[in-house]
Amino acid sequence: MITRLVLIACLVAAGGALAADEPEFALTIRGHRFVPAEIRIPANTKVKLVVQNEDAAPEEFDSHALNREKVIPGASKATIFIGPLAPGRYPFMGEFNASTAQGAVVAQ
Amino acid sequence: MKRSPARFLLLALLSLAPSAHADPDDYVATPAVEYGEREIELRLGTATATEGQRHSAASLAFGYGVTPWWATEVYGKWNRSDATRFDAFEWENRFQLSEPGQYFADFGLLVELERPRDRAEGYELRLGPLMQKDFGPVQANVNVLIERHYRADAPEATELGYQWQLKYRWRPAFEFGAQGFGEVGPWNDWAPAHEQAHVLGPAIFGKVGLGGRQVVRYDAALLFRVSSAAPARTLRAQVEYEF
Repeated sequence: MITRLVLIACLVAAGGALAADEPEFALTIRGHRFVPAEIRIPANTKVKLVVQNEDAAPEEFDSHALNREKVIPGASKATIFIGPLAPGRYPFMGEFNASTAQGAVVAQ
Repeated sequence: MKRSPARFLLLALLSLAPSAHADPDDYVATPAVEYGEREIELRLGTATATEGQRHSAASLAFGYGVTPWWATEVYGKWNRSDATRFDAFEWENRFQLSEPGQYFADFGLLVELERPRDRAEGYELRLGPLMQKDFGPVQANVNVLIERHYRADAPEATELGYQWQLKYRWRPAFEFGAQGFGEVGPWNDWAPAHEQAHVLGPAIFGKVGLGGRQVVRYDAALLFRVSSAAPARTLRAQVEYEF
């Protein structure tokens, strides 16, 4: 049993080693807003969003359209994988400051 | 610890019945962890047992996302057949092994340790991989879990079970799909089909933001038996308050 779990963990790790490098897109949280508020990415391609939270407070990147929820502590960085996406607009928000932290990924 | 032969026989028979371990308030665990998130969780479930008697269960828990990859939760569990009684303490740990979307599927690990009120049952360990995959707007989860009692009065096999769900992610506040749970018996020597317990049925899910960090999540399912050893119908529900 333990052997099987270790095997699964090894397969996951091996998958990471073999994974192709995804295109990276930078996103910043500053003053409880996303900068830029709109990110354009290639459609049908998996990409990596590197989100830098410059605020002191944590924020949660939340997107029902992308099926992603990720808490980013204050003054730190997180990576969020999205896609491949069909062409379209996919809104996201900062759940802890939803009145100001709004944005969208546009796949084209 | 000495037990009467009748008690020993009863425990042995229970250990042979896969459905004996299924709690009607069980839920489908997911691999993602929310760092720093605290939650209070209530689970309820009621099942019409194969012998005609209703069996119900409830759990109340407090959980915390300790790190970006580890969430822990402590449960108090109650059940009711002829009378309501405290059943067990449970310590659940979920480990996120990959970032969502990083690989062809998302992976996690569930490790649960339960201490039943009835000390004759010893300790119960349940663990296994959690897997999730998105197919457009449909989210699929499959978990394969093994369960074993330690320091129990009666010898017991390591049993194999599973959970799955399909969820059409329609609106944040209302999603719908199906869930299923099952136990096949000893992991290396499955029970005959008529002794296995399999249930499945429609399920609903949702999330309502209350502002700031406060969120209420729910999911519920009405499960029907697909094998004779399972309860005819199970109604289960889960509500989480996250803050």
